[in-house]
Amino acid sequence: MIPHSPILAIVLPLLGGFLSPVIGILERKHGWRRATGIFALIVMGVVCVVVGSMVTDVWAGQFIIYELGGWSPPWGINLAVDALGAQMALMIAGLGILVVLYSLSYMRDETGLGQFYALLLIVIAGMMGTVLTGDMFNFYVFLEIMSVGSYALVAFRRTPEGIEGGIKYLFIGSIGTTSILISIAMLYGLVGSLNIADIGAKLTLYSGNVPPALTLAFALFVTGVMVKVAMVPFHTWLPDALTGAPTVVSALLAGPAAVVGIYWVARLPYLPFGMPVGVILVSLGLLSMVVGVLMALVQRDFKRMLAYHVISQKGYMVLGIGLGTFGSVLGAQGGLFHLLNHSTYKCLLFMCAGAVLLQANSQKFDELGGLGKKMPVTAAMFLVGSLAISGIPPMNGFVSKYCIYLSGLELGQGWITAIAVVVSALTLASFLKAFSSVFLGQLPGRLEGVREAPRPMLISMAIMAAVCVAIGLLPAIGFNIVGPAQAAAENSVGYITHVFGENYLAAGGMMP
Amino acid sequence: MEFIWDPLMVTAAMLLCSAVGYVILLLSRMGTKPRPNPEKNRTYACGEVLKPEELHPDSAGFFSPVKKVIKPFYRRVGGAHTGDLNRYLLWIAAGLLVLFVTVFLMEVVLGWAL
Repeated sequence: MIPHSPILAIVLPLLGGFLSPVIGILERKHGWRRATGIFALIVMGVVCVVVGSMVTDVWAGQFIIYELGGWSPPWGINLAVDALGAQMALMIAGLGILVVLYSLSYMRDETGLGQFYALLLIVIAGMMGTVLTGDMFNFYVFLEIMSVGSYALVAFRRTPEGIEGGIKYLFIGSIGTTSILISIAMLYGLVGSLNIADIGAKLTLYSGNVPPALTLAFALFVTGVMVKVAMVPFHTWLPDALTGAPTVVSALLAGPAAVVGIYWVARLPYLPFGMPVGVILVSLGLLSMVVGVLMALVQRDFKRMLAYHVISQKGYMVLGIGLGTFGSVLGAQGGLFHLLNHSTYKCLLFMCAGAVLLQANSQKFDELGGLGKKMPVTAAMFLVGSLAISGIPPMNGFVSKYCIYLSGLELGQGWITAIAVVVSALTLASFLKAFSSVFLGQLPGRLEGVREAPRPMLISMAIMAAVCVAIGLLPAIGFNIVGPAQAAAENSVGYITHVFGENYLAAGGMMP
Repeated sequence: MEFIWDPLMVTAAMLLCSAVGYVILLLSRMGTKPRPNPEKNRTYACGEVLKPEELHPDSAGFFSPVKKVIKPFYRRVGGAHTGDLNRYLLWIAAGLLVLFVTVFLMEVVLGWAL
C-alpha cells in the first residue's frame, strides 16, 4: 500500500478542488484549452492509483486503521477501511475518473470550468470521506461537503430547471443531513463517543432496554440516510435535480453519489446502531421499486425517466440488503452487487442521454427520433445499458437481480421475487419506449445535421459498456468484490475488534 | 440456495440462436426477392402526405393501456408529484413519523432489541 493512502484518497481531490480555480485562471490567461479538465483527470488518476493500492491490501485480508494526528480512537479521529469501504472507495474513484473524462467534451463550451472542476473534485473528496471515516461527526462533515458541492453543481448552468432542481435538492437534502446531525448529537449524549466502533460497542450495553431517545436517534438517522438514497417518500428531490443538472452532474449523482447512501444502508443494520431494520428496508425497497418504475413509464423527458429509474433501481439494492438482514447472504450480496452494476450502467445511460442532448439539443422524447442512423455508437451503448438495467442476460444487471430473486425464494417470500420480476419487465418496457423514441423511427428534419458524440465521451461510454458486458459474462469478478464487502458489513464485532483490540468488547466498551 | 448461472454457456446459446435466426432470414430473402419501388416506400395514411416529424409516435400514448389499467395509481401518486416543495417537505416529515412509530412498535410490541 502507498503510505498514508486512506487520507491521500480524501486530501488529493480536496487539494485538487482548491487548485482548480487557479488552473482555470491560467487556462483563460494563456489560452490552454481544457487545462482544468485535464488537471482534474490527472488528480483522479492519482486517486485511482492510491485507492487501488489500498484496496489490494484490504482484499489480501488487511483491515486498515489510519489514526489522524497519531491520536488513538476513540479520542482521535480514525479512518477505518474494511472490504465494504474498499468496494465503495474503488467505485467512487473508478466512476469519478470516467465522469471527469466525459466532462472534457461535454463541458467544452461552458464558462467557469475552474469552479466546475473545483466543485466536482470537492464532491468526490466528500464521497471518499463518508465511506472511509471511522468517526460519526467526521462522516457528517464529509456528507455536508459532498452535499453542498452537489447542490451548487446541479444549479451550475443557472438555467431555470437547474436552479429549481438545485434549490429543491438543497432544502430536502438539508433536512436529511440535519436529521443525521441531530441523531449524532443524541448518540453522543447517550454514549459519550463519536467513534463508530466505540458507539457500536457501547450500545450493546443497552441490550433489551432501549431508551426512547435511542429509538428517535435511530429513526432520524434512517430518515437522513433514506433522503440521501432517495427512497420513496424521501425521493422527491431526485427527479428535479437530475433533470435540471448538467448531464455530467446527473451521471455523478446517479453513479458515485449513490454509493455513499447505499454504503450506509449496508452498515445500518450492524453498526453503529445494530438495530433490526430489515422490515423497514424491505418495505421501502419494494415501495421505491414499484413507484419509481411506474413513474418512469409515463415520462416524456429522457433524463427525468432515467431519474425515476434511479429510484427504482436503488429500491432493488435496499431490498437485497434488507433481505440480507433476515439471513440471506445471497440477498445482501445481490444488493451490493446491484450497486456495483447500477453505478456503471446508470452512469452509461446518463452519458448516452447527455450525448443526445449535446448533439440534438433536446431531451424530450417527442422532439427526437431516428438518431440511431446518426449516432450509431451512442445507440449501441444505450442498448447495452438498457439491457443491463432491465436485467436481461448476459448483462451485469441480470446477475445481481437474479441473486435478489433467489433471495426472496430462499426466504420463502415468493411474492417479493414476483414483484421484483414484474418491476424488471416494466423497466424493459420503459427502455423500449426510450430506445424507440430516441434512436428508431423517422429522423425529424431539424436533426439532419446531427453527428456522433465526441471521442472522449464515446471512450467513457465504451468503458462503462465493456464493464457491463464483462461483469455479466464473468460474474465472479463482481462476487470477488461484493463477497468480502458483505462479510465485512455483517462483521460488526470484527470491526470493533480491529479498531480497539481483542479485549475491548469483553471489557464492556472500556479501554483495557 | 445455490447461485446457479453459467453466463458463458447461455451467451453462446443466445448467439447461436441469433445466428440460426439470421440464416433463416437470409434463406427466406433468397427465396423471395424484394422488389422495392417508390410507391411501396411511401407511408400510407388515408391518402395524406405526412412529414417525418408527424410519423413519430407520441411518447405520452406509448403505454396508455398501462395508464388506464392502473389509473388510481397515476391519479393519486403520480398526481401528488406536483413539484411543490412544501408538500415534499411534508412527505419527509410524515416519513420520519412513520419510521419512528415503526421502530418504536418493533421494540415495545415485538420486543426486538439491540
